[in-house]
Amino acid sequence: MPSAMIEVNGLTKRYRDRVAVDDLTFSVPEGEILGFLGPNGAGKSTTMKVLTGYLPASSGTVKVAGHDVFEEPYEVKRRIGYLPETPPLYPEMSVRGYLRFVASLKGVTRGQMASELDRVAHATGITEVLERLIQNLSKGFRQRVGLAQALLGSPPVLILDEPTEGLDPSQRAEVRQLIRGLAGQHTVILSTHILPEVTMTCARVLILNQGKMVAFDAIQNLAHALGQGDQTSLEDIFLKLTAAA
Amino acid sequence: MRNALAIARKELSIYFTTPWAYVVFTAMLGISSFFFVNLLATFREVQGLARAYGWNRLPTEYAAFKNLTDGVVVQLWDVIAVVTLFVAPFLSMRLFAEEKRNRTFELLMTAPVRPWEIVLGKYLGGLGVVWATLGLTIVFPVTLSLFGASESGTALEWSTVALGFAGILLWGAACMAVGMFVSALTESQMLAAFLTFAILLPWMLLRGLAQSAEEPWRSVANYLSFSSQLSNLSRGVLDLKALVFFASVVVFSLLLTHRAVEAQRWA
Repeated sequence: MPSAMIEVNGLTKRYRDRVAVDDLTFSVPEGEILGFLGPNGAGKSTTMKVLTGYLPASSGTVKVAGHDVFEEPYEVKRRIGYLPETPPLYPEMSVRGYLRFVASLKGVTRGQMASELDRVAHATGITEVLERLIQNLSKGFRQRVGLAQALLGSPPVLILDEPTEGLDPSQRAEVRQLIRGLAGQHTVILSTHILPEVTMTCARVLILNQGKMVAFDAIQNLAHALGQGDQTSLEDIFLKLTAAA
Repeated sequence: MRNALAIARKELSIYFTTPWAYVVFTAMLGISSFFFVNLLATFREVQGLARAYGWNRLPTEYAAFKNLTDGVVVQLWDVIAVVTLFVAPFLSMRLFAEEKRNRTFELLMTAPVRPWEIVLGKYLGGLGVVWATLGLTIVFPVTLSLFGASESGTALEWSTVALGFAGILLWGAACMAVGMFVSALTESQMLAAFLTFAILLPWMLLRGLAQSAEEPWRSVANYLSFSSQLSNLSRGVLDLKALVFFASVVVFSLLLTHRAVEAQRWA
């Protein structure tokens, strides 16, 4: 078994009195794509924010490639590409200007800049909008620019919060394809509430409900564990688990 | 440092692609031109009176109008300092507040960038735009030196003008630093601008406000007041104490901003 790229141990996040994430423990081996599922408000985005070092954990530890997020934030941030819930875009900038800015923060050198921009623009299908201002882009393009930003510098870990949000079905299929292509070289955590998407892209799923982990396994195993046949859809599993809690 | 410069470049490119910088440039030039023309008119009037009656018979406060440097430029710097007080909060307000509102703060905080690089980069960007605004006002002394004349040859005493201008630049740098710190505390740009103004205005006028206070408070207030620190420089006196004072305000504000950004990690 390959070494764990992401290790989360007893992670709890409280906002004042409200517990957003409750004692979460899991690990993701290198090169795997983990699906993060849960109803709205289950703590998916909060967990991702802690993983990327944006928010501190109330207790518990998070390690990425052996580095603790809180102790060595810089080492962790160097290794993560992150697409937050709301793509972090500057509306006044052109897509190219924006990507160039993010790439320089991620340490892409001047010499590699042009080819790196080409690579991510091609992968996310935004080549034709590179010169446009972000404020004039459609929601789907904005989402893809956000995704392109996460891919810059080819970080070993990608944390994608609802990457297919706001895309039409054909774009969604393209992004799925793209994410599936990342498996092996990249460790990916991907959250979504579009269930078929997880079945198509992820090897394993983690289901959160009200901040607690209700399942963490391969999709087939989950179906077996619930005493149903291989035909059970993820939707059935999801509804069953989140209703029970 | 490379990251700080990348952030500074980004800030400048946003200032200059949105109308903000141009609105502020126009306001600065418009208001100071108005005062410049007025000061010139007063200057001519007093010179006329002096020719008719002689300087000895004019009130002593007219003595400043003996030359263009003291009569126009030095007084114009005071006006520009006040205009800066009004426009600087509008330039500084967006530095952090906009990032937070736009959710781009998350990008900066999760990129491999250290908090001090974010603070420094943002400050350099802000400094660039406020110095560009103030840089435009050099057009007034230049105009005077091109078209003015005096008995001693050159129309202006450039060393005095330069020190006054340096004072104005330092004042702009201090306003920007305080404004950036306030901007790091809120998501609302309007609130940031208003609070910055509410801090800078009494701070600038501290000397006047503390006139009736007891010693040693009056001396303390006098020392801390921006207007008394500026007064020597704008009159062309090289005042090291003032340089140290402005540098301290900037450094202290940057440190506070750094704390505010770091606090995100502990929230």
